[in-house]
Amino acid sequence: MDHIDLYSLREQLSRHRILLCFNGPISQSLIEEIGNALKNYLQVEQIQPSAAMDVFGVYIELTQNIRQYALARGYGEHEAAATVSVARDELGHYIVQAGNLVEAEDGRALLARVADLAGRDKSELKALYKEQLRRPRETQAGVGAGLGLIDVARKAAQPLCASLTPVDEQRAFLSLRAVI
Amino acid sequence: MTDLSIPSSQSTPAVEGVWEQGLLRMEGDSYPENSFDFFSPVILWIEGFLTRTQRPLTLELRLIYMNTSSVKAMMDIFDMLEEAHREGRQVRVRWRYDPRNERVVEMAEDFREDCTFAFDIEADEADEARGAY
Repeated sequence: MDHIDLYSLREQLSRHRILLCFNGPISQSLIEEIGNALKNYLQVEQIQPSAAMDVFGVYIELTQNIRQYALARGYGEHEAAATVSVARDELGHYIVQAGNLVEAEDGRALLARVADLAGRDKSELKALYKEQLRRPRETQAGVGAGLGLIDVARKAAQPLCASLTPVDEQRAFLSLRAVI
Repeated sequence: MTDLSIPSSQSTPAVEGVWEQGLLRMEGDSYPENSFDFFSPVILWIEGFLTRTQRPLTLELRLIYMNTSSVKAMMDIFDMLEEAHREGRQVRVRWRYDPRNERVVEMAEDFREDCTFAFDIEADEADEARGAY
């Protein structure tokens, strides 16, 4: 087995100004622990409390969406995995990215949803959020990531980006990116 | 008749229901994986209070970050209060927030838009001394 070149991994993390990253099976308690680490970073950086809460909120919604999706699809513990990174760009924006394996069909539906949200302004997003909030729980598809995604779009400073990388015949890796 | 007391956890707020005073307090962050489970006893307590007494009910909230499923559960609670208010009951919400965090105000205002009962959103200067977020 090849040795992992930790130095080059470190270089790559530094180059992308990544504060925090995680890859592997994810549970609610792990989401909370990583969330704690994130809160501490944000406190050290002394950013506005409201901005810190937005970054934290986007991280929570994206990772909980991944958990919900895996549960809804009946994935096993190892398939309920996530790849998450939080970075800070030169302009001081925080970039939260979260990815997971999905059924290719679900992934395509989500890309369409993200594209739809990207075309809406803040007041339209608010109206959509309220409409979704009023929808009964039973009619909210577990795989649609409805309310959470709109919430992330409302908190983001730029339209959300999503990409899909095919892994095999059925599955693809879905990656979502929010700039706050 | 029965008081409610749920200690806070990493991802759930502290909840305290004082039956005699008609007072329900909630304080902290709320982002459990299953908000429906967490909020069920709170919803039952309010429901019990509204059906078994005719006394006024006040909610004192110091909720900070809420994930979307907690927001949904909270909306269910405010809908119950709204219904009671329309039937002539005296209900009131006081939402206190750290003045450095205007995002909490926006969230509280989002809720207030759909309510016609007394809903106060008040800056709490005492929070200045504390360091949250």
